Amino acid sequence: MQLEFNEERLLIIGANGIGKSNLLEAVELLGSLRSHRSSNDQDLIHWDESQAILRGKTDQGDKIELQLRRKGGRKAIKNDKLLLRQLDLIGPLRCVCFSALDLELVRGEPALRRHWLDRIVQQLEPVYADLISRYNKLLRQRSQLWKNFRHASNSELKSLLDAFDVQMALVSTRIHRRRQRALNHLHPLASRWQERLSNSSEILELTYLPGSYLDGEEAEEPWRLDIERQLLEQRVDEEKLGSCRVGPHRDEIGFLLNGVLARRFASAGQQRTLVLALKMAELELVTDVYGEPPLLILDDVLAELDPQRQLLLLEAVGQKHQCLVSATHLDAFEGDWQKRSQILREDSLSFIEGI
Amino acid sequence: MPGIGPRTAQRLALHLLRQPEIKIRSFADALLAAHDQVGQCEKCFHLSAESVCEICRNTHRDKRILCVIADSRDLIALERTREYKGLYFVLGGLISPMDGIGPEFLQIPNLIERVDKDEIKEVILALTPSVEGDTTSLYIAKLLKPFTKVSRIAYGLPVGSELEYADEVTLTRALEGRQTIN
Repeated sequence: MQLEFNEERLLIIGANGIGKSNLLEAVELLGSLRSHRSSNDQDLIHWDESQAILRGKTDQGDKIELQLRRKGGRKAIKNDKLLLRQLDLIGPLRCVCFSALDLELVRGEPALRRHWLDRIVQQLEPVYADLISRYNKLLRQRSQLWKNFRHASNSELKSLLDAFDVQMALVSTRIHRRRQRALNHLHPLASRWQERLSNSSEILELTYLPGSYLDGEEAEEPWRLDIERQLLEQRVDEEKLGSCRVGPHRDEIGFLLNGVLARRFASAGQQRTLVLALKMAELELVTDVYGEPPLLILDDVLAELDPQRQLLLLEAVGQKHQCLVSATHLDAFEGDWQKRSQILREDSLSFIEGI
Repeated sequence: MPGIGPRTAQRLALHLLRQPEIKIRSFADALLAAHDQVGQCEKCFHLSAESVCEICRNTHRDKRILCVIADSRDLIALERTREYKGLYFVLGGLISPMDGIGPEFLQIPNLIERVDKDEIKEVILALTPSVEGDTTSLYIAKLLKPFTKVSRIAYGLPVGSELEYADEVTLTRALEGRQTIN
C-alpha cells in the first residue's frame, strides 16, 4: 500500500476492523522502531508472509526503510544505505502516538508508567537504553543468584551479592537521576496542558516516587553509596520475599489531580484529559529538543473528546504538527478539524487485506 | 558447529566427500590426536598438549604478573599483541547465575591458591565489560585484595576510530576510565 500525505492532517475514516490502527502503527513503527501494541516482530508481519517492509520519504528528502523478517530480524535502511545501528533510523520521522491503550498509563500498573517515562528519556538520551537493559540483566541475574546459591556457603553468597550491589548502585543512581530530570522537564508542560484542557479547573502534578531512598539534591557519589548501603540492608527481606526491594524497578510516578491520585479518584473523562496532557507535554519536549515538530498520531481517541477539548487540541497542534487521526465516522470531528485535511475513507483502505 | 550455517555445512560436507581416502584418514587422525593429546595446562588452564603449556614454561616471561581471562580465545587474542610479557590464568567462563555458573564451576579457588603461593605482585583482570564480566571481576578482585595488587584493563575507544563516531555507551566507559597525563 502506498500513501502520500499532502495536508496538515490526515483523517482516516472507516468501520471497526478495517485497518486504521494498522496503518497508524506502521507509521509509528517506521518513525520510532517500536509499536505500542506489540514488542514482538512476529505479530507485526502478515500471517501468510515471511516479511514486512515499511518505506517512508520525508519532506526533507530522507528515505527511510525498515524491514521485518520472520527469520533473521530487522534491517534498517536510510537513503539506500544499510544502517549498522538500527537506532540511527530514528530522527527523520519522530512521532508521538496516542491510542486508547494509553489510558492504561493512568489506570494500570506502575511498570506502564515507568516504561512511558523511559521511552521519553530514551528520546532525550540514547545511551539510556543501555542503562535500562543492563539494569534488567542485573536484576535477573541477582534473583537467579538467590535461587541457585541458597545452599552455597554464606561468605560466597555474600561476596557475590556484594559484586551485584556495587554494579546495581551505580546503574540505579544513573537511572533515578535521568528519570527525575525528565519528570522535572515534563511537569510544567503537562500541568499547563491539563489546565488548558480542563478550562483551568484541574491542577496536575507529576511526582517521582523513587524505589530507592534518595536523600537531598541530585549527586552521583552520595546517592550511589547510599543505595549500596540500602541494598545491603534489604537482603534479609530479599531472602524472604525473593525479590530485590530497592532500586528503579520499584519506582512509581504519581499523577495527582487537584492533590489526589488520578488513578483512584479521577473520572474517566479526567483521566483521558490527563493522558492527553502528558502526550502534549511529550510533543513539546521532543519539539524543544530536536527543533523539529514531531508527527502526532491520534488513534481513535479524538472522537472521544468533547467538542471543546477537540478545539483546544486543534488550536494547540495548529499548523506546526502534522497529524494522523483515525475515527469510525467523520461526524465525530469538530468542523474545523476537517479543514485543510486529507480524508482517507474505508474504500481506499480496503485493500489492506486479511486484517 | 559454532559459526557455521546450514549452507556452509553442506558445502563442507560435500567437499569432504570428494576427497581421496588418504586425506580423509589423516584428517580423522588429526582430529583424534587433538582429542587425545590436547588438554589443559595444569598451571594456567590454557589449552596445551603438555602438562605445562609453552607460555608457563617460558623463562623469559615475568612470572609475577598474572592476566586473568575468561577462556583460551581471549588468551590467543592477547598473545597476538606481543606486548604482554607476564603469565596468564584462564578462568573457563564467567559467573552467570542465569546459566547456573557459579564460582565453583570456574578455576577461582585455583587462582587464589596460585596467587598466594607464587607471590604474584599484580593480577590484571581482562574480562568483557558485560554484567557477567563485571560481576566476575568484582568478585575476584575482592578475594584477591588481601594477597596482591589487582587491576583491570581499560575499556574505551578503539584506536584509529574517530571520537565523533563512537557510540554513547563506549564514550561513557571511556570517560569513566580516563587517566591523568603526567
